[in-house]
Amino acid sequence: MALDRNDWLACLAAALPDDCLVMSTYIGAVSFEWAHHTEEHPRTGHLGQMGDVIGLALGLAMALPHRKVVCLDGDGSVLMELGQFVAMGQHAPDNLVVFVVDNGVYESIGWGDAGRRPTATAGRADLASIAASCGVPHTADVSTREQLDTEIGLAFSRNLCSFINVRTEPGHSQVEPRRTDGIEDKYRFVRYIERLEDIRITGVPPQDLGLMEDPEPG
Amino acid sequence: MLERGWDVLQHAAEEAVRGLEEAGINFVSGLPDGWQRNVHELVEDNDNFRYAPVCNEGVGFSMCAGAWLGGMKSALIMENSGLRVASEYIARISLGTGVPVTLLCSYRGDVGETEHWGIPHGIVAEPLLQALRIRYLIVRRVDELRTAIVRAQRLSEAQLHPAAVLISGDCVWDDGDGR
Repeated sequence: MALDRNDWLACLAAALPDDCLVMSTYIGAVSFEWAHHTEEHPRTGHLGQMGDVIGLALGLAMALPHRKVVCLDGDGSVLMELGQFVAMGQHAPDNLVVFVVDNGVYESIGWGDAGRRPTATAGRADLASIAASCGVPHTADVSTREQLDTEIGLAFSRNLCSFINVRTEPGHSQVEPRRTDGIEDKYRFVRYIERLEDIRITGVPPQDLGLMEDPEPG
Repeated sequence: MLERGWDVLQHAAEEAVRGLEEAGINFVSGLPDGWQRNVHELVEDNDNFRYAPVCNEGVGFSMCAGAWLGGMKSALIMENSGLRVASEYIARISLGTGVPVTLLCSYRGDVGETEHWGIPHGIVAEPLLQALRIRYLIVRRVDELRTAIVRAQRLSEAQLHPAAVLISGDCVWDDGDGR
């Protein structure tokens, strides 16, 4: 049994608190449909790629421990760098919740059923079990709407580092692709966090802050 | 004159940590190696840093990038072998998106290396940095380490891309001239 990706992403988007941040995978159907359901709100950074989405979210969560951080990734990406689970279990920030679209295929490599290739989760690999064995405090393997609703409720009603694997039907994006690149997505996300947290992220040259005694010309 | 071994490592580590502090770095990830193990200890015990050790430098780089997005100044400390591991994520994140992280690498395989396993690390390190468009300083004297870290961090922030410091064995070898 598995869920429809577009439907369950819509459920997650509807439950998302206004004051949280989201680190999402950058390309493919997950990003396109998430952007559609969240109307491209800048609280989501579509900045992750294969193997680095959880790592990015983990660093973000550790930098902003008062802020709920949601991570959105796919099974192929997670499988590429399982060391992320070790770091997640090791540091386990209470404010981090990872949701994974586990459809058991490399979806974006080809069109239609014949174009896909299976990931290891189509076989015996079990991401939630791997996460649990790496010390992630809460893990779940979800395949029904009821289970999903329960996990979404827990994710936003308590602070506990969590990994939620959502068994999902394969299927290409049901919405239009996004048109931005990583540079534009970064600036949009950074400017949003700067306003949200009242901080500066991109730097001001030190001489402009009076921090250099002997600034170089130019 | 410093005693051999431990005191030499400790002296270099103290200079490195001064550099990290002066550069405003407050998030440090990395994987300990023989030359910078003392840096990890000092960083872990210093309240000015959020210390996030990892078992894979690629994950460490991703975490550093995420921490920067959250407003921190980050550095990744590793042997230059870790640079190869991290390079996939440096390319994806920094070449693709433009995120600064200061890289502090032990330069195994530099001229004078005594270990056979360090030779490949030395062969690959500089061409790899160049391929990743990462500017770097090679430090062969400990008294240049603090400033080099400050300079690398400053460049990294200005260009929104990593910059690196390669710490040669001359800073830590018993017969090194850089102590």
